[in-house]
Amino acid sequence: MSAGIEISLAIILLSVLFSLSSSRLMTLIKLMALQGALVSLLPVLLNSANKLPPGGIALFLIMLLIKAILIPALLYFALTRMAIRREVEPLIGYHASVVVGLGLILLATYLSRYLQYSAPGVLALMPITAITALGGGLFLMMSRTKALTQVIGYLMLDNGIYLMGTALIKRTHSHYLVELGVLLDLLVAVMIMGIILNNINRAFDDVDTLDLEQLKD
Amino acid sequence: MLESTILLPLMIGLLALFLPPRFGRVLLVATAGAHLLLTFMIWLGTPQPLFPDFFNKANPGMLVVLVTSFIFACAAPYAVFYMKEQKIRKERIFLGCMLLFLGTMSMAALAENLVVFWIAIEATTLASAPLIFVHRSKQALEATWKYVLICSVGIALALLGFFFITFSMEQAGLNQSLTFSTLNRIAPQLDKLWLKTGFIFVCIGFGTKMGLAPMHTWLPDAHSEAPSPASGLLSGALLNCAFLGIYKVHTIMALAGLGMFSSNLLISFGLFSILVAGIFILNQPDYKRMLAYSSIENMGIIALGVGIGGMGLFGAMLHLIHHSLLKTSLFLSAGNIMLAFGSKLISQCSHMPRLLPKTFGCFFVGCLGIAGLPPFGLFLSEVLILFGAFQQGRPVIAILFVLLLILVIAGFSRGALAMSFGQANDQATILIREQTSRVLPPLALLLASIMLCFWLPEPLRQTISDSIIILGGSIHG
Repeated sequence: MSAGIEISLAIILLSVLFSLSSSRLMTLIKLMALQGALVSLLPVLLNSANKLPPGGIALFLIMLLIKAILIPALLYFALTRMAIRREVEPLIGYHASVVVGLGLILLATYLSRYLQYSAPGVLALMPITAITALGGGLFLMMSRTKALTQVIGYLMLDNGIYLMGTALIKRTHSHYLVELGVLLDLLVAVMIMGIILNNINRAFDDVDTLDLEQLKD
Repeated sequence: MLESTILLPLMIGLLALFLPPRFGRVLLVATAGAHLLLTFMIWLGTPQPLFPDFFNKANPGMLVVLVTSFIFACAAPYAVFYMKEQKIRKERIFLGCMLLFLGTMSMAALAENLVVFWIAIEATTLASAPLIFVHRSKQALEATWKYVLICSVGIALALLGFFFITFSMEQAGLNQSLTFSTLNRIAPQLDKLWLKTGFIFVCIGFGTKMGLAPMHTWLPDAHSEAPSPASGLLSGALLNCAFLGIYKVHTIMALAGLGMFSSNLLISFGLFSILVAGIFILNQPDYKRMLAYSSIENMGIIALGVGIGGMGLFGAMLHLIHHSLLKTSLFLSAGNIMLAFGSKLISQCSHMPRLLPKTFGCFFVGCLGIAGLPPFGLFLSEVLILFGAFQQGRPVIAILFVLLLILVIAGFSRGALAMSFGQANDQATILIREQTSRVLPPLALLLASIMLCFWLPEPLRQTISDSIIILGGSIHG
């Protein structure tokens, strides 16, 4: 099963890089759906040796529903109401962004060596992917001006943190109900962001966060 | 059961989202009263937690839930009368979200499990976002967007911090439940490196929500754009909940023998917050933003007091209570002023003592209190923190603290005096007259703070002592 895990992780890594180079908002949403599905699948793959309890299966299905279907669908509907389809003028260009992404992978590889010392049991690619997704998400939020791209950056950051949690923590600590709460928070957060997105679109005829600079000191 | 303080406002809040506002208003005030009653009952010790692994009566949490509940009980009736004067669409959303906000804050205050606490804090962000957005102006939109995005990212980083803390437990070969009390017990065995890493992330994450500089950027926008009752709750209740997260992890750090590291980090964040707030208060033209920066300053003082320890801890807890009461009172008074003059600019307020005598009284006395002048509570707590700093052998920090306080007081009193005694416009008229129903809530909060300066009820004093003794703090140092 190890091959399946590594392939999934590699696809997540590539999806981070791809999202940094893509200007089409629709592509970004599709990438988030793919990432969400893989991130939900990973805990199942990691635990494939032992049989999953019913609670674990239910949680996996709910997570798949929220991360791979509901959230991308919400973003899709937000997008259909907007006039824009592309991120036109990113603060940092696409080629430069990919270079930053590659740099992030290097940094992540360096950082996860510390993790290897403390926890040799952890699959090497796991923290690398987690840190790259985390950093990529943060970078996307800072370097893009469309509000929708910033939401996608937040989701990627969240995926990275979740992957980090999966890499570090054994399942015995987590409680299904608690994990469900975390997921619910994420879903509601994206819903509220979607509502604000809609209102920004209506008020400014655009979702550019550069318009949002009236409040300052 | 203990959980009723959480479930009651959550359920009724969900209901109020769908009911017409005239029912929602009644529900809001009634639930606020019931919540205060339940909180008193918890303090008297009757209801026990149903799920002790998730929610429990931990000491600083009890303090926060009491403060939150009292403030909400004052802000709820005010909100009803305030909203009557404002023309807003979808008032039911506002009323429902107020209750959801109360429920999530109680959940955060009483949470015992790390991740449950995290869920509650993120939920407070989500429940309060619609409150900021009520006026639907472009500015409100911007403030809400910044609030949701910045706080969500910050809180997400705090979750990473909690993962690292869990990892530090696994590294030590321990397999215990993830509750604050368990972690306190096994703290000395935890893996030091990962615990430290975890604390840094928690500090940055919840520091964002608490408004510590340099992660405070959302705070002045959100507090100034939200309607006044919501600003009061954001400042007086929400920031305390986020502080609770930092405090609890700081306790784990101290018990693990890393107290010096976390103290120094808190002191740096604290001093820097006071400095940033002081600079921005100095020439602030907008009075709600001035109050918001003052919240950043006071959160900095609390972080500083906790970092200093000893007597400073008692000061920090006292500061938390008095700041919440006074700041909410000020925001509610500011709401009356805004209704009257129709502007948030200090320069637009003139002839306040003549035009708005009652509001003026409340606002001016509140300003004296929040500036930390004697005999108000904040003076007492600041002196305690100062003594604590000398006592713990940190004279440089004590001197820096005093200098920064002078900076803040200078800026704040300039704004407050200009507002209170401004005579810029001789023809000034007021749009909406002040009403006793909108003056009584801020007055009640103000009087509560003044009362606590002279008489600290024994259970309250005991709870403060109990919650700081674990860190080696006491009133006697």
